[in-house]
Amino acid sequence: MSLSRLRNVLKCDLVKASASSASISKLWGPCTKEVSTCSTQRGSVAQHSSKPDWNRAVSEAEKIVGYPTSFLSLRWVLSDEIANVALHLRKLVGSNHPLLKTAKNLIYNGKNNMQAWGLIVLLVSKAAGHSPEIPDMEQDKAAGVLHSQRALAEVTEMIRTSHLVHKGLVNMNARQQVAGEPDDMMFGNKIALLSGDYLLANSCSELANLRNQELVELMSSAVRDLAEAEFLGDRDEQNNPLPSRPVPEGEWGPDSEWDCIVDPLPMTGVTGCLQREWVARHVLAAGALLGKSCSAALKLAGHKPALQTQGYLFGCHLALAWQAFLDLEAFTGPEPASFSLVGAPLAFTLQARPELYEYIEAGRRSVHDVDYHALYKAVLEGPGIEQTKRLQREHVSRACAVLDSFPPGDARTALANIIVAMHHEI
Amino acid sequence: MACLSSSRLCARVQDKLLCQFGHKVRRQTVFVKLKPPGPSPLRIFGKTCQRVTTCGPACGSGGASAATSAAGVARRLASSLQSTSTGSLPDYGTQIVDPYRLLEDDLNGIYEDIRAELEKNTNQAELNTIATYYFDGQGKALRPMVAILMARAVNYHVYGENSALLPSQRQVAMISEMIHSASLIHDDVIDQSDFRRGKPSVNVLWNHKKVAMAGDFILAVASMMIARLRSDDVTLVLSQVVTDLVQGEFMQLGSKETENERFAHYLTKTYRKTASLIANSVKAVALLSGADESTCELAFQYGRNLGLSFQLVDDLLDFVSSAQAMGKPTAADLKLGLATAPVLFACEKYPELNPMIMRRFQEAGDVEKAFELVHKSRGLEQTRFLARKHGAEAARLAHDLADSPYQKGLVVTTDLVLNRIK
Repeated sequence: MSLSRLRNVLKCDLVKASASSASISKLWGPCTKEVSTCSTQRGSVAQHSSKPDWNRAVSEAEKIVGYPTSFLSLRWVLSDEIANVALHLRKLVGSNHPLLKTAKNLIYNGKNNMQAWGLIVLLVSKAAGHSPEIPDMEQDKAAGVLHSQRALAEVTEMIRTSHLVHKGLVNMNARQQVAGEPDDMMFGNKIALLSGDYLLANSCSELANLRNQELVELMSSAVRDLAEAEFLGDRDEQNNPLPSRPVPEGEWGPDSEWDCIVDPLPMTGVTGCLQREWVARHVLAAGALLGKSCSAALKLAGHKPALQTQGYLFGCHLALAWQAFLDLEAFTGPEPASFSLVGAPLAFTLQARPELYEYIEAGRRSVHDVDYHALYKAVLEGPGIEQTKRLQREHVSRACAVLDSFPPGDARTALANIIVAMHHEI
Repeated sequence: MACLSSSRLCARVQDKLLCQFGHKVRRQTVFVKLKPPGPSPLRIFGKTCQRVTTCGPACGSGGASAATSAAGVARRLASSLQSTSTGSLPDYGTQIVDPYRLLEDDLNGIYEDIRAELEKNTNQAELNTIATYYFDGQGKALRPMVAILMARAVNYHVYGENSALLPSQRQVAMISEMIHSASLIHDDVIDQSDFRRGKPSVNVLWNHKKVAMAGDFILAVASMMIARLRSDDVTLVLSQVVTDLVQGEFMQLGSKETENERFAHYLTKTYRKTASLIANSVKAVALLSGADESTCELAFQYGRNLGLSFQLVDDLLDFVSSAQAMGKPTAADLKLGLATAPVLFACEKYPELNPMIMRRFQEAGDVEKAFELVHKSRGLEQTRFLARKHGAEAARLAHDLADSPYQKGLVVTTDLVLNRIK
């Protein structure tokens, strides 16, 4: 599909979202606004191309900003350290260490692929354009982004991958015996920890090379947010997240606002209110990094702070919409063996039926002990799925509202296309 | 490493185990007596009694294959050692120069400040607990101390007597300790150590996934602090530290086949894992001071030599110190499969160590056998000698700074590092 064709397909403005003056605090509020634009978007796309599927949206978008953005580039693969890791990874094959799964997921080109994150940062960069004062030397003219923005996109991917790899450690300190040889697990942990550190260290020096200290501070705060995410709420012995015990609506504490995104996310009023907990969890684990990266990309282009904030909101809402979409996937196909216990559909269901929490209690030791079938049935019967769809639409519309403030162009279209593709398949 | 082989170099350290400061280094006043240089045993710090005799040309020109920069320094140093009379140590004057005492006000509350900075950056109670666990004030705070000492010495060098410590320089001191602790936390998960600093290590107490995240968290907060100094050069210098630390860890995973390669590998690894942090943080404070390039480079080289000396002593202590004094188990390196300087030196006399090094002391009895051979060989004294040379080079560099109590403190620190027992 050529770019011109893509433009034709999307010539009707996709991003006519109801302009919500989305402030950072709005991330918190309950989803009250119904979004009308998304359904019309879907219709218009469907007319021209029967299935604007995800992979196509992504690969088209990649062409717009040059080459595939993944850090899994030759430079990376050829580094000594990674060659070393690859060697050691082979020793782990056959063991049960989750690092293998993480590695597979990194290479597998699925929907939950973090490669798309760098892509989004580049698309936002291109969509917003840059200040005319930036010298030609610093531009990647063909792709329409700055070299510094490309470096930033790489940093985003490295930070995210590093976090995923560190998340994939095995807790050897659990009362419950870990499945697998202890020696293998220890070795796997060592490799996982070092590989993650390697990525983190590289992102530190890449950031330092950008010579923009506000940006270093912002991106470091995103690393901090990711670390905080792994401590939010209850956990089983392998640190898998569990929802907190739902509290009736009347007893919720006052909601808090995240006034300054360089400060840590406030936690007051979160525990017990599962919707807020869902937002807080995924802002920390995903939204903050994507949002801050988009914001940083605009900073590099010399845009005003107000637009940088919009960039943050775009990334954050997009990540949350994405998360809601992933949470829904478990309930659209055949019944899965297990699913996220902190997904939005279950959060809404638990809030409506607090007595279901005893199923969660069974997972204190390990999330594998939970009766997923019973919870699955409860989710299907309850309001959770509808509410999650509404939640997703809400975040999609907020993200679209930001897109609206960018001038029309292929990158903006591609971003809209990615959002639609994600939305379409529900 | 040919240029330091025992045939060409004869270093005799009479007391292998140097007795000195107890646990409370910072409480103790260090008296340095003015003594004319001479061959008699020197009394330093009141109770330490040691004697070093060097004889013959310390280093020949051979061994070019081990031409790492460290070896180069060792060679340069050899001549400087020759020119000084045997066993002499620098003259500090009659005044009391205990760097910890000298910087008491600056160091006071540094752990509290670090804890406050970490606490400010999270609303998760458990993350705060793990992240602040090692900032309990029980550590030696060597890195912050050296950073502040260098900051004050360079400020004095550049601006004279009335110079003060910049807040940003104290921040670098805090950052250096934070980066160090973040790496310790990750090391604990990797090495599954049981004790550190005389208490259970983090991996014994908490979920390993959370411990790993707490390490990332400390690094992130340190990065934010670096960024807030708003100096591109300082950020670049300190980001190099993080890269070095990781690359050092990767080097530790592998070993080299031949002896020469192995020693070079070991020295580079030691620089990356230990010396880089000290070298680059003292360079950062010099940059913040506005010192010229050569002074910054001097600071860097001082830190590098001090760091190498520090780690060599650390590797030595792993063989001679008691578990109780160290606050962590001894022969830990062997148990982890690591061949440090004492083993590498011992290889010259006992080639049977070579296969053990290659199999990382995995077979039953390897650790005990290697331990015994190291003690039978001259590996420990050779290691001490190398450490001493790096210490002397650091002291020599410090002498180039303007004369001040802080500059003297930098010189004394090289001795503190050499003569510590933990």
